[in-house]
Amino acid sequence: MSESSVLTIGAPGYDVDRLVADLQETTDRKMKDGVYADARVAAAEKTNLAQLRGSDDFVTFYLTCLRDAVFVDISDFEIRERRRAFSRILVHLKKLLWNLLKFYTYRLWSQQNQINGLIITAMEGMEEQNATRIAALEKRIAELEQKAPDDGRF
Amino acid sequence: MADSERIAFVCPRFAGEGAVGGAETLLKNLAIHAAQRGLSVDFLTTCAQSHFTWENSLPAGTTQVEGMSVHFFPVDDRDVGTFLRIQQSIDRGRPIPPEEELRWLQNGVNSSALLRHLDQHASGYRAIFLGPYLFGLIYFAALAHPERSLLIPCLHDEPFARLACMKRLFSEPAGCLFNSQAERDLAGELFDYPDRKSRIVGMGLTPFEADATAFARRHGIDAPYVLYSGRREPLKGTPLICDYMDAFRQRTRRDIRVVFTGSGAIDAPAGLWPAIFDAGFVSEQEKHEAMAGAVSFLHPSINESFGIVLLESFLAGTPALVHAKSRVLVSQSRAAGAGLWFRHYPDFETELLYYLDHPEERKAMGEKGRQFVAREYAWPAIEQKFLDALHSLTLPAAP
Repeated sequence: MSESSVLTIGAPGYDVDRLVADLQETTDRKMKDGVYADARVAAAEKTNLAQLRGSDDFVTFYLTCLRDAVFVDISDFEIRERRRAFSRILVHLKKLLWNLLKFYTYRLWSQQNQINGLIITAMEGMEEQNATRIAALEKRIAELEQKAPDDGRF
Repeated sequence: MADSERIAFVCPRFAGEGAVGGAETLLKNLAIHAAQRGLSVDFLTTCAQSHFTWENSLPAGTTQVEGMSVHFFPVDDRDVGTFLRIQQSIDRGRPIPPEEELRWLQNGVNSSALLRHLDQHASGYRAIFLGPYLFGLIYFAALAHPERSLLIPCLHDEPFARLACMKRLFSEPAGCLFNSQAERDLAGELFDYPDRKSRIVGMGLTPFEADATAFARRHGIDAPYVLYSGRREPLKGTPLICDYMDAFRQRTRRDIRVVFTGSGAIDAPAGLWPAIFDAGFVSEQEKHEAMAGAVSFLHPSINESFGIVLLESFLAGTPALVHAKSRVLVSQSRAAGAGLWFRHYPDFETELLYYLDHPEERKAMGEKGRQFVAREYAWPAIEQKFLDALHSLTLPAAP
Protein backbone atom coordinates (compact mmCIF):
# COMPACT_ATOMS: atom_id res chain seq x y z
CA MET A 1 0.00 0.00 0.00
CA SER A 2 1.21 3.47 -0.71
CA GLU A 3 2.03 6.19 1.77
CA SER A 4 -1.05 8.10 2.80
CA SER A 5 0.42 11.57 2.88
CA VAL A 6 2.72 12.71 0.15
CA LEU A 7 4.07 16.16 0.83
CA THR A 8 3.10 19.65 1.79
CA ILE A 9 3.61 22.46 -0.67
CA GLY A 10 4.63 25.89 0.53
CA ALA A 11 2.00 27.86 -1.38
CA PRO A 12 -0.82 25.35 -1.60
CA GLY A 13 -3.09 25.44 -4.60
CA TYR A 14 -1.55 28.52 -6.11
CA ASP A 15 1.05 27.09 -8.45
CA VAL A 16 -0.41 23.90 -9.84
CA ASP A 17 2.51 23.45 -12.25
CA ARG A 18 4.88 23.23 -9.32
CA LEU A 19 2.47 21.13 -7.31
CA VAL A 20 2.04 18.63 -10.17
CA ALA A 21 5.81 18.55 -10.77
CA ASP A 22 6.46 17.86 -7.07
CA LEU A 23 3.76 15.20 -6.84
CA GLN A 24 4.95 13.51 -10.03
CA GLU A 25 8.54 13.56 -8.81
CA THR A 26 7.39 11.80 -5.64
CA THR A 27 5.47 9.29 -7.76
CA ASP A 28 8.48 8.62 -9.99
CA ARG A 29 10.66 7.98 -6.93
CA LYS A 30 8.08 5.63 -5.46
CA MET A 31 7.78 3.82 -8.80
CA LYS A 32 11.53 3.20 -8.77
CA ASP A 33 11.22 1.91 -5.20
CA GLY A 34 8.65 -0.61 -6.36
CA VAL A 35 5.65 0.90 -4.53
CA TYR A 36 3.46 0.42 -7.60
CA ALA A 37 4.79 -2.96 -8.75
CA ASP A 38 1.37 -4.41 -8.22
CA ALA A 39 -0.95 -6.55 -10.31
CA ARG A 40 -3.83 -4.21 -9.42
CA VAL A 41 -1.97 -1.32 -11.00
CA ALA A 42 -1.39 -3.34 -14.18
CA ALA A 43 -5.10 -4.16 -14.32
CA ALA A 44 -6.10 -0.53 -13.66
CA GLU A 45 -3.87 0.68 -16.45
CA LYS A 46 -5.47 -1.43 -19.19
CA THR A 47 -7.64 1.37 -20.57
CA ASN A 48 -4.80 3.89 -20.39
CA LEU A 49 -2.21 1.88 -22.33
CA ALA A 50 -2.80 3.66 -25.63
CA GLN A 51 -2.02 7.01 -23.95
CA LEU A 52 1.17 5.72 -22.40
CA ARG A 53 2.83 4.28 -25.48
CA GLY A 54 4.95 7.39 -25.89
CA SER A 55 6.31 7.35 -22.33
CA ASP A 56 9.99 6.35 -22.12
CA ASP A 57 9.95 4.19 -19.00
CA PHE A 58 6.41 2.96 -19.15
CA VAL A 59 6.93 -0.44 -20.77
CA THR A 60 9.50 -1.40 -18.13
CA PHE A 61 7.13 -0.25 -15.38
CA TYR A 62 4.16 -2.06 -16.89
CA LEU A 63 6.11 -5.30 -17.23
CA THR A 64 7.09 -5.07 -13.55
CA CYS A 65 3.41 -4.77 -12.63
CA LEU A 66 2.54 -7.65 -14.93
CA ARG A 67 5.19 -9.89 -13.38
CA ASP A 68 3.07 -9.83 -10.23
CA ALA A 69 -0.16 -10.41 -12.13
CA VAL A 70 0.72 -13.33 -14.39
CA PHE A 71 0.92 -16.05 -11.77
CA VAL A 72 -2.55 -17.29 -10.88
CA ASP A 73 -2.89 -18.23 -7.20
CA ILE A 74 -3.37 -22.01 -7.07
CA SER A 75 -2.83 -22.46 -3.33
CA ASP A 76 -5.39 -24.25 -1.22
CA PHE A 77 -8.01 -22.09 0.48
CA GLU A 78 -10.44 -22.23 3.38
CA ILE A 79 -13.88 -23.51 2.41
CA ARG A 80 -16.80 -21.75 4.13
CA GLU A 81 -20.58 -21.60 3.91
CA ARG A 82 -22.54 -18.41 4.53
CA ARG A 83 -25.98 -20.03 4.75
CA ARG A 84 -26.82 -21.18 8.28
CA ALA A 85 -29.03 -24.12 7.41
CA PHE A 86 -27.12 -27.32 6.61
CA SER A 87 -23.87 -25.39 6.72
CA ARG A 88 -21.81 -28.34 7.99
CA ILE A 89 -23.16 -30.65 5.32
CA LEU A 90 -22.62 -28.06 2.62
CA VAL A 91 -19.02 -27.45 3.72
CA HIS A 92 -18.33 -31.18 3.63
CA LEU A 93 -19.91 -31.43 0.22
CA LYS A 94 -17.81 -28.54 -1.11
CA LYS A 95 -14.66 -30.07 0.35
CA LEU A 96 -15.44 -33.35 -1.31
CA LEU A 97 -16.00 -31.61 -4.65
CA TRP A 98 -12.80 -29.64 -4.29
CA ASN A 99 -10.80 -32.78 -3.48
CA LEU A 100 -12.14 -34.40 -6.61
CA LEU A 101 -11.35 -31.37 -8.80
CA LYS A 102 -8.10 -30.24 -7.18
CA PHE A 103 -5.72 -32.37 -9.19
CA TYR A 104 -7.15 -31.29 -12.55
CA THR A 105 -7.33 -27.61 -11.50
CA TYR A 106 -3.73 -27.62 -10.35
CA ARG A 107 -2.60 -29.37 -13.49
CA LEU A 108 -4.39 -26.83 -15.72
CA TRP A 109 -3.32 -23.71 -13.85
CA SER A 110 0.27 -24.76 -13.21
CA GLN A 111 0.66 -25.18 -16.97
CA GLN A 112 -1.02 -21.84 -17.58
CA ASN A 113 1.29 -20.21 -15.03
CA GLN A 114 4.30 -21.68 -16.80
CA ILE A 115 3.11 -20.21 -20.10
CA ASN A 116 2.37 -16.82 -18.51
CA GLY A 117 5.83 -16.80 -16.93
CA LEU A 118 7.54 -17.71 -20.20
CA ILE A 119 5.66 -14.99 -22.08
CA ILE A 120 6.50 -12.26 -19.60
CA THR A 121 10.16 -13.37 -19.54
CA ALA A 122 10.24 -13.22 -23.34
CA MET A 123 8.66 -9.75 -23.30
CA GLU A 124 11.13 -8.54 -20.71
CA GLY A 125 13.97 -9.96 -22.84
CA MET A 126 12.68 -8.16 -25.93
CA GLU A 127 12.27 -4.93 -24.01
CA GLU A 128 15.81 -5.18 -22.65
CA GLN A 129 17.18 -6.03 -26.09
CA ASN A 130 15.38 -3.05 -27.66
CA ALA A 131 16.54 -0.71 -24.92
CA THR A 132 20.17 -1.83 -25.43
CA ARG A 133 19.84 -1.44 -29.19
CA ILE A 134 18.35 2.06 -28.89
CA ALA A 135 21.05 3.10 -26.41
CA ALA A 136 23.75 1.88 -28.82
CA LEU A 137 22.13 3.75 -31.72
CA GLU A 138 21.83 6.94 -29.68
CA LYS A 139 25.50 6.67 -28.71
CA ARG A 140 26.44 6.12 -32.38
CA ILE A 141 24.38 9.15 -33.49
CA ALA A 142 25.99 11.31 -30.81
CA GLU A 143 29.46 10.21 -31.99
CA LEU A 144 28.62 10.93 -35.62
CA GLU A 145 27.19 14.34 -34.70
CA GLN A 146 30.44 15.19 -32.92
CA LYS A 147 32.47 14.15 -35.96
CA ALA A 148 30.20 16.01 -38.41
CA PRO A 149 31.51 19.17 -40.05
CA ASP A 150 30.09 22.56 -39.02
CA ASP A 151 27.44 22.59 -41.77
CA GLY A 152 25.77 19.64 -40.05
CA ARG A 153 26.25 17.14 -42.92
CA PHE A 154 27.71 13.71 -42.14
CA MET B 1 -25.56 46.60 -34.26
CA ALA B 2 -28.63 46.59 -36.48
CA ASP B 3 -31.58 44.65 -35.08
CA SER B 4 -32.22 43.28 -38.53
CA GLU B 5 -28.92 41.44 -38.66
CA ARG B 6 -29.64 37.75 -39.17
CA ILE B 7 -27.42 34.82 -38.40
CA ALA B 8 -27.88 31.07 -38.53
CA PHE B 9 -26.54 28.17 -36.52
CA VAL B 10 -26.21 24.67 -37.96
CA CYS B 11 -25.80 21.78 -35.56
CA PRO B 12 -26.70 18.08 -36.07
CA ARG B 13 -28.68 17.95 -32.79
CA PHE B 14 -30.52 20.46 -30.67
CA ALA B 15 -29.47 20.23 -27.02
CA GLY B 16 -32.43 19.56 -24.79
CA GLU B 17 -34.15 16.73 -23.05
CA GLY B 18 -32.82 13.49 -24.48
CA ALA B 19 -30.00 15.07 -26.47
CA VAL B 20 -27.03 16.25 -24.49
CA GLY B 21 -23.57 16.89 -25.76
CA GLY B 22 -20.96 19.49 -24.97
CA ALA B 23 -20.78 20.88 -28.51
CA GLU B 24 -24.56 20.97 -28.92
CA THR B 25 -24.94 22.76 -25.57
CA LEU B 26 -22.27 25.25 -26.54
CA LEU B 27 -23.86 26.11 -29.90
CA LYS B 28 -27.32 26.37 -28.39
CA ASN B 29 -26.16 28.68 -25.60
CA LEU B 30 -24.24 30.91 -27.99
CA ALA B 31 -27.34 31.14 -30.19
CA ILE B 32 -29.58 32.05 -27.24
CA HIS B 33 -27.22 34.77 -26.08
CA ALA B 34 -26.84 36.11 -29.62
CA ALA B 35 -30.64 36.39 -29.75
CA GLN B 36 -30.64 38.16 -26.39
CA ARG B 37 -28.17 40.69 -27.81
CA GLY B 38 -30.67 41.60 -30.55
CA LEU B 39 -29.61 39.40 -33.45
CA SER B 40 -32.22 37.52 -35.41
CA VAL B 41 -31.23 33.86 -34.99
CA ASP B 42 -32.28 30.78 -36.96
CA PHE B 43 -31.10 27.50 -35.45
CA LEU B 44 -31.06 24.78 -38.11
CA THR B 45 -30.87 21.23 -36.82
CA THR B 46 -32.15 17.71 -37.41
CA CYS B 47 -35.03 15.75 -35.94
CA ALA B 48 -32.60 13.32 -34.30
CA GLN B 49 -31.96 13.11 -30.57
CA SER B 50 -29.87 9.96 -30.22
CA HIS B 51 -26.27 10.20 -31.33
CA PHE B 52 -26.20 6.40 -31.66
CA THR B 53 -29.21 5.77 -33.93
CA TRP B 54 -29.78 9.23 -35.47
CA GLU B 55 -33.42 8.26 -35.73
CA ASN B 56 -35.83 11.07 -36.61
CA SER B 57 -37.56 11.21 -33.25
CA LEU B 58 -38.76 14.84 -33.28
CA PRO B 59 -41.33 16.24 -35.71
CA ALA B 60 -40.00 18.36 -38.59
CA GLY B 61 -40.98 22.02 -38.43
CA THR B 62 -40.22 25.32 -36.75
CA THR B 63 -40.60 26.38 -33.16
CA GLN B 64 -39.57 29.37 -31.05
CA VAL B 65 -37.06 28.70 -28.27
CA GLU B 66 -35.76 31.51 -26.05
CA GLY B 67 -35.98 34.20 -28.68
CA MET B 68 -34.76 32.21 -31.68
CA SER B 69 -36.41 30.18 -34.43
CA VAL B 70 -35.43 26.53 -34.28
CA HIS B 71 -35.96 24.62 -37.54
CA PHE B 72 -35.98 20.82 -37.38
CA PHE B 73 -35.21 18.87 -40.57
CA PRO B 74 -35.25 15.09 -41.10
CA VAL B 75 -31.98 13.15 -41.26
CA ASP B 76 -31.44 11.49 -44.68
CA ASP B 77 -31.40 7.72 -45.11
CA ARG B 78 -27.85 6.44 -45.16
CA ASP B 79 -25.78 3.32 -45.58
CA VAL B 80 -24.72 2.73 -41.99
CA GLY B 81 -22.67 -0.36 -42.94
CA THR B 82 -20.49 1.62 -45.35
CA PHE B 83 -20.18 4.46 -42.85
CA LEU B 84 -19.07 2.16 -40.02
CA ARG B 85 -16.67 0.19 -42.24
CA ILE B 86 -14.84 3.36 -43.30
CA GLN B 87 -15.05 4.88 -39.83
CA GLN B 88 -13.37 1.78 -38.38
CA SER B 89 -10.49 2.16 -40.84
CA ILE B 90 -10.12 5.85 -39.96
CA ASP B 91 -10.23 5.04 -36.26
CA ARG B 92 -7.39 2.56 -36.68
CA GLY B 93 -5.31 5.20 -38.42
CA ARG B 94 -5.29 3.46 -41.81
CA PRO B 95 -4.76 5.72 -44.84
CA ILE B 96 -8.06 6.41 -46.64
CA PRO B 97 -8.29 7.48 -50.32
CA PRO B 98 -10.19 10.76 -50.96
CA GLU B 99 -13.17 8.98 -52.52
CA GLU B 100 -13.57 6.87 -49.37
CA GLU B 101 -13.42 9.99 -47.20
CA LEU B 102 -16.21 11.46 -49.31
CA ARG B 103 -18.24 8.26 -49.02
CA TRP B 104 -17.77 8.40 -45.23
CA LEU B 105 -19.10 11.96 -45.14
CA GLN B 106 -21.99 11.16 -47.49
CA ASN B 107 -23.05 8.21 -45.33
CA GLY B 108 -22.66 10.11 -42.08
CA VAL B 109 -25.35 12.37 -40.67
CA ASN B 110 -26.82 14.52 -43.44
CA SER B 111 -30.02 16.39 -44.11
CA SER B 112 -30.72 17.41 -47.69
CA ALA B 113 -33.84 19.32 -46.50
CA LEU B 114 -31.65 21.43 -44.23
CA LEU B 115 -29.14 22.07 -47.03
CA ARG B 116 -31.98 23.10 -49.38
CA HIS B 117 -33.29 25.53 -46.76
CA LEU B 118 -29.81 26.96 -46.38
CA ASP B 119 -29.44 27.36 -50.16
CA GLN B 120 -32.67 29.37 -50.26
CA HIS B 121 -31.89 31.61 -47.29
CA ALA B 122 -28.08 31.82 -47.06
CA SER B 123 -27.84 35.21 -48.75
CA GLY B 124 -29.98 36.73 -45.97
CA TYR B 125 -27.59 35.65 -43.21
CA ARG B 126 -24.58 37.69 -42.23
CA ALA B 127 -22.97 34.50 -40.93
CA ILE B 128 -23.70 30.81 -40.58
CA PHE B 129 -22.12 29.22 -37.50
CA LEU B 130 -21.56 25.50 -37.88
CA GLY B 131 -20.31 22.77 -35.60
CA PRO B 132 -19.05 20.35 -34.46
CA TYR B 133 -16.72 19.59 -37.35
CA LEU B 134 -16.88 15.86 -37.96
CA PHE B 135 -20.34 15.49 -39.48
CA GLY B 136 -21.20 15.26 -43.17
CA LEU B 137 -23.94 17.84 -42.58
CA ILE B 138 -21.46 20.42 -41.30
CA TYR B 139 -18.96 19.66 -44.07
CA PHE B 140 -21.43 20.06 -46.94
CA ALA B 141 -23.20 23.08 -45.42
CA ALA B 142 -19.93 24.93 -44.77
CA LEU B 143 -18.54 24.27 -48.24
CA ALA B 144 -21.82 25.28 -49.92
CA HIS B 145 -21.59 28.80 -48.44
CA PRO B 146 -17.95 29.25 -47.39
CA GLU B 147 -17.94 33.06 -47.52
CA ARG B 148 -20.58 33.21 -44.76
CA SER B 149 -19.53 30.15 -42.81
CA LEU B 150 -17.84 30.35 -39.44
CA LEU B 151 -16.93 26.99 -37.98
CA ILE B 152 -17.25 26.29 -34.28
CA PRO B 153 -15.37 23.04 -34.75
CA CYS B 154 -14.88 21.74 -31.18
CA LEU B 155 -11.74 20.17 -32.59
CA HIS B 156 -10.08 17.18 -30.93
CA ASP B 157 -6.77 15.52 -31.69
CA GLU B 158 -8.25 12.35 -33.18
CA PRO B 159 -7.86 10.34 -36.41
CA PHE B 160 -10.86 12.11 -38.06
CA ALA B 161 -9.11 15.47 -37.71
CA ARG B 162 -6.24 14.13 -39.83
CA LEU B 163 -8.35 13.33 -42.90
CA ALA B 164 -7.51 15.27 -46.07
CA CYS B 165 -11.12 16.47 -46.38
CA MET B 166 -10.84 18.25 -43.03
CA LYS B 167 -8.07 20.44 -44.35
CA ARG B 168 -10.53 21.65 -46.99
CA LEU B 169 -13.28 22.11 -44.40
CA PHE B 170 -11.03 24.35 -42.36
CA SER B 171 -9.45 26.28 -45.23
CA GLU B 172 -12.52 27.38 -47.23
CA PRO B 173 -14.91 28.93 -44.68
CA ALA B 174 -14.49 32.56 -43.62
CA GLY B 175 -13.17 31.68 -40.18
CA CYS B 176 -13.27 29.68 -37.01
CA LEU B 177 -14.41 30.28 -33.45
CA PHE B 178 -12.28 28.20 -31.11
CA ASN B 179 -13.08 27.39 -27.52
CA SER B 180 -9.57 27.70 -26.17
CA GLN B 181 -6.01 28.62 -27.11
CA ALA B 182 -5.13 24.91 -26.96
CA GLU B 183 -7.75 24.15 -29.63
CA ARG B 184 -6.46 27.00 -31.79
CA ASP B 185 -2.90 25.64 -31.45
CA LEU B 186 -4.11 22.21 -32.52
CA ALA B 187 -5.73 23.68 -35.66
CA GLY B 188 -2.45 25.45 -36.36
CA GLU B 189 -0.55 22.17 -36.13
CA LEU B 190 -3.04 20.11 -38.14
CA PHE B 191 -4.06 22.58 -40.86
CA ASP B 192 -1.51 25.36 -40.63
CA TYR B 193 -4.54 27.46 -39.69
CA PRO B 194 -3.75 31.20 -39.62
CA ASP B 195 -4.55 33.02 -36.36
CA ARG B 196 -5.99 35.99 -38.28
CA LYS B 197 -8.91 33.82 -39.45
CA SER B 198 -9.93 32.74 -35.97
CA ARG B 199 -11.11 34.07 -32.62
CA ILE B 200 -11.27 32.39 -29.22
CA VAL B 201 -14.79 32.66 -27.86
CA GLY B 202 -15.84 29.59 -25.84
CA MET B 203 -19.03 29.60 -23.83
CA GLY B 204 -20.19 31.62 -20.85
CA LEU B 205 -21.14 30.07 -17.55
CA THR B 206 -23.47 31.58 -15.01
CA PRO B 207 -22.15 31.48 -11.42
CA PHE B 208 -24.30 29.48 -8.99
CA GLU B 209 -24.55 28.71 -5.31
CA ALA B 210 -24.79 25.07 -4.29
CA ASP B 211 -25.06 23.41 -0.88
CA ALA B 212 -22.02 21.12 -0.61
CA THR B 213 -23.77 18.72 1.77
CA ALA B 214 -27.17 18.47 0.07
CA PHE B 215 -26.37 15.76 -2.49
CA ALA B 216 -24.72 13.35 -0.04
CA ARG B 217 -27.47 13.95 2.53
CA ARG B 218 -30.26 13.36 0.02
CA HIS B 219 -28.78 10.09 -1.21
CA GLY B 220 -27.34 8.78 2.06
CA ILE B 221 -23.73 8.92 0.93
CA ASP B 222 -21.78 8.73 4.19
CA ALA B 223 -18.21 8.84 2.86
CA PRO B 224 -16.17 11.22 0.70
CA TYR B 225 -16.81 10.85 -3.01
CA VAL B 226 -15.36 11.71 -6.39
CA LEU B 227 -17.64 12.69 -9.25
CA TYR B 228 -17.96 12.30 -13.00
CA SER B 229 -20.75 14.06 -14.90
CA GLY B 230 -21.63 13.47 -18.52
CA ARG B 231 -21.87 10.67 -21.04
CA ARG B 232 -20.40 7.39 -19.88
CA GLU B 233 -18.40 5.93 -22.75
CA PRO B 234 -14.84 4.83 -23.45
CA LEU B 235 -14.06 8.03 -25.42
CA LYS B 236 -14.87 10.04 -22.29
CA GLY B 237 -12.63 7.82 -20.16
CA THR B 238 -15.29 6.44 -17.83
CA PRO B 239 -13.87 2.86 -17.85
CA LEU B 240 -10.57 4.39 -16.73
CA ILE B 241 -12.31 6.07 -13.78
CA CYS B 242 -13.74 2.71 -12.70
CA ASP B 243 -10.45 0.84 -13.09
CA TYR B 244 -8.45 3.53 -11.27
CA MET B 245 -10.95 3.92 -8.43
CA ASP B 246 -11.14 0.15 -7.95
CA ALA B 247 -7.34 -0.03 -7.66
CA PHE B 248 -7.29 3.08 -5.44
CA ARG B 249 -9.80 1.67 -2.96
CA GLN B 250 -8.02 -1.68 -2.81
CA ARG B 251 -4.50 -0.30 -2.48
CA THR B 252 -5.14 2.58 -0.10
CA ARG B 253 -8.06 0.98 1.81
CA ARG B 254 -9.76 4.40 1.83
CA ASP B 255 -13.54 4.34 1.76
CA ILE B 256 -14.14 6.75 -1.09
CA ARG B 257 -17.23 6.50 -3.28
CA VAL B 258 -17.63 7.13 -6.99
CA VAL B 259 -20.64 9.17 -8.08
CA PHE B 260 -21.82 9.35 -11.68
CA THR B 261 -24.40 11.70 -13.11
CA GLY B 262 -25.43 11.59 -16.76
CA SER B 263 -26.40 8.85 -19.17
CA GLY B 264 -24.95 5.61 -20.51
CA ALA B 265 -23.87 2.29 -19.09
CA ILE B 266 -21.12 2.10 -16.48
CA ASP B 267 -18.51 -0.54 -17.18
CA ALA B 268 -17.02 -1.21 -13.74
CA PRO B 269 -15.17 -4.10 -12.08
CA ALA B 270 -17.44 -6.16 -9.80
CA GLY B 271 -15.54 -5.10 -6.68
CA LEU B 272 -16.23 -1.42 -7.26
CA TRP B 273 -20.03 -1.64 -7.58
CA PRO B 274 -20.76 -1.31 -3.83
CA ALA B 275 -18.88 2.02 -3.91
CA ILE B 276 -20.64 3.39 -7.00
CA PHE B 277 -23.64 5.67 -6.82
CA ASP B 278 -25.27 6.19 -10.21
CA ALA B 279 -27.51 9.24 -9.93
CA GLY B 280 -28.40 9.07 -13.65
CA PHE B 281 -29.79 12.13 -15.37
CA VAL B 282 -30.18 14.88 -12.76
CA SER B 283 -31.31 18.51 -12.77
CA GLU B 284 -28.72 21.29 -13.12
CA GLN B 285 -29.24 22.19 -9.47
CA GLU B 286 -28.60 18.64 -8.31
CA LYS B 287 -25.56 18.32 -10.58
CA HIS B 288 -24.13 21.50 -9.06
CA GLU B 289 -24.77 20.19 -5.55
CA ALA B 290 -23.07 16.90 -6.43
CA MET B 291 -20.11 18.87 -7.75
CA ALA B 292 -19.90 21.13 -4.70
CA GLY B 293 -19.77 18.16 -2.32
CA ALA B 294 -17.17 16.10 -4.22
CA VAL B 295 -13.56 15.71 -3.11
CA SER B 296 -12.59 16.07 -6.74
CA PHE B 297 -14.18 16.12 -10.16
CA LEU B 298 -12.69 13.43 -12.41
CA HIS B 299 -12.34 14.22 -16.11
CA PRO B 300 -10.06 11.70 -17.80
CA SER B 301 -11.22 12.39 -21.37
CA ILE B 302 -8.50 13.40 -23.78
CA ASN B 303 -11.00 14.40 -26.50
CA GLU B 304 -12.17 17.77 -25.27
CA SER B 305 -12.13 21.16 -26.92
CA PHE B 306 -13.61 23.10 -24.00
CA GLY B 307 -14.63 21.02 -20.96
CA ILE B 308 -17.93 22.57 -19.83
CA VAL B 309 -18.36 20.21 -16.87
CA LEU B 310 -14.80 20.86 -15.74
CA LEU B 311 -15.50 24.60 -15.60
CA GLU B 312 -18.81 23.94 -13.83
CA SER B 313 -16.99 21.92 -11.17
CA PHE B 314 -14.59 24.86 -10.73
CA LEU B 315 -17.63 27.13 -10.33
CA ALA B 316 -18.85 24.75 -7.63
CA GLY B 317 -15.51 25.25 -5.84
CA THR B 318 -14.28 21.72 -6.51
CA PRO B 319 -10.83 21.04 -7.96
CA ALA B 320 -10.32 18.40 -10.63
CA LEU B 321 -8.14 15.54 -11.73
CA VAL B 322 -7.63 15.46 -15.50
CA HIS B 323 -5.61 13.35 -17.92
CA ALA B 324 -2.21 14.80 -18.77
CA LYS B 325 -2.80 14.01 -22.46
CA SER B 326 -5.76 16.37 -22.70
CA ARG B 327 -4.11 19.61 -23.61
CA VAL B 328 -7.35 21.58 -23.28
CA LEU B 329 -8.24 20.31 -19.81
CA VAL B 330 -4.66 20.64 -18.60
CA SER B 331 -4.53 24.20 -19.90
CA GLN B 332 -7.86 25.05 -18.18
CA SER B 333 -6.64 23.45 -14.93
CA ARG B 334 -3.35 25.32 -15.14
CA ALA B 335 -4.98 28.66 -15.94
CA ALA B 336 -7.50 28.27 -13.13
CA GLY B 337 -4.96 26.85 -10.68
CA ALA B 338 -7.67 24.38 -9.78
CA GLY B 339 -6.73 21.03 -11.25
CA LEU B 340 -4.01 18.40 -11.21
CA TRP B 341 -3.17 16.16 -14.15
CA PHE B 342 -2.07 12.54 -14.14
CA ARG B 343 -0.08 10.48 -16.67
CA HIS B 344 -0.92 7.07 -15.23
CA TYR B 345 -2.38 5.33 -12.20
CA PRO B 346 0.55 6.04 -9.85
CA ASP B 347 0.13 9.80 -10.47
CA PHE B 348 -3.62 9.47 -9.98
CA GLU B 349 -3.18 7.73 -6.64
CA THR B 350 -0.68 10.30 -5.39
CA GLU B 351 -2.84 13.23 -6.49
CA LEU B 352 -6.12 11.91 -5.12
CA LEU B 353 -4.40 11.18 -1.80
CA TYR B 354 -3.13 14.74 -1.86
CA TYR B 355 -6.69 16.06 -2.20
CA LEU B 356 -7.94 13.76 0.56
CA ASP B 357 -5.13 14.58 2.99
CA HIS B 358 -4.93 18.33 2.32
CA PRO B 359 -8.50 19.65 2.67
CA GLU B 360 -7.40 23.26 3.17
CA GLU B 361 -5.25 23.28 0.05
CA ARG B 362 -8.02 21.54 -1.87
CA LYS B 363 -10.49 24.18 -0.76
CA ALA B 364 -8.11 26.96 -1.77
CA MET B 365 -7.70 25.43 -5.22
CA GLY B 366 -11.47 25.12 -5.60
CA GLU B 367 -11.97 28.74 -4.62
CA LYS B 368 -9.33 29.81 -7.11
CA GLY B 369 -11.13 27.84 -9.82
CA ARG B 370 -14.46 29.44 -8.90
CA GLN B 371 -13.01 32.93 -9.19
CA PHE B 372 -11.27 32.08 -12.48
CA VAL B 373 -14.45 30.83 -14.20
CA ALA B 374 -16.60 33.65 -12.82
CA ARG B 375 -14.07 36.14 -14.20
CA GLU B 376 -13.07 34.56 -17.54
CA TYR B 377 -16.34 32.94 -18.58
CA ALA B 378 -18.90 35.56 -17.58
CA TRP B 379 -21.59 35.76 -20.28
CA PRO B 380 -21.25 39.49 -21.04
CA ALA B 381 -17.55 39.00 -21.89
CA ILE B 382 -18.28 35.92 -24.03
CA GLU B 383 -21.16 37.68 -25.83
CA GLN B 384 -18.81 40.55 -26.67
CA LYS B 385 -16.15 38.16 -27.97
CA PHE B 386 -18.81 36.47 -30.09
CA LEU B 387 -20.03 39.76 -31.58
CA ASP B 388 -16.43 40.89 -32.23
CA ALA B 389 -15.77 37.61 -34.05
CA LEU B 390 -18.95 38.02 -36.11
CA HIS B 391 -18.07 41.55 -37.17
CA SER B 392 -14.37 41.03 -37.77
CA LEU B 393 -14.60 37.74 -39.69
CA THR B 394 -17.62 38.42 -41.92
CA LEU B 395 -19.13 41.16 -44.06
CA PRO B 396 -22.72 42.43 -43.71
CA ALA B 397 -25.30 40.45 -45.68
CA ALA B 398 -26.55 41.92 -48.95
CA PRO B 399 -29.68 44.10 -48.45
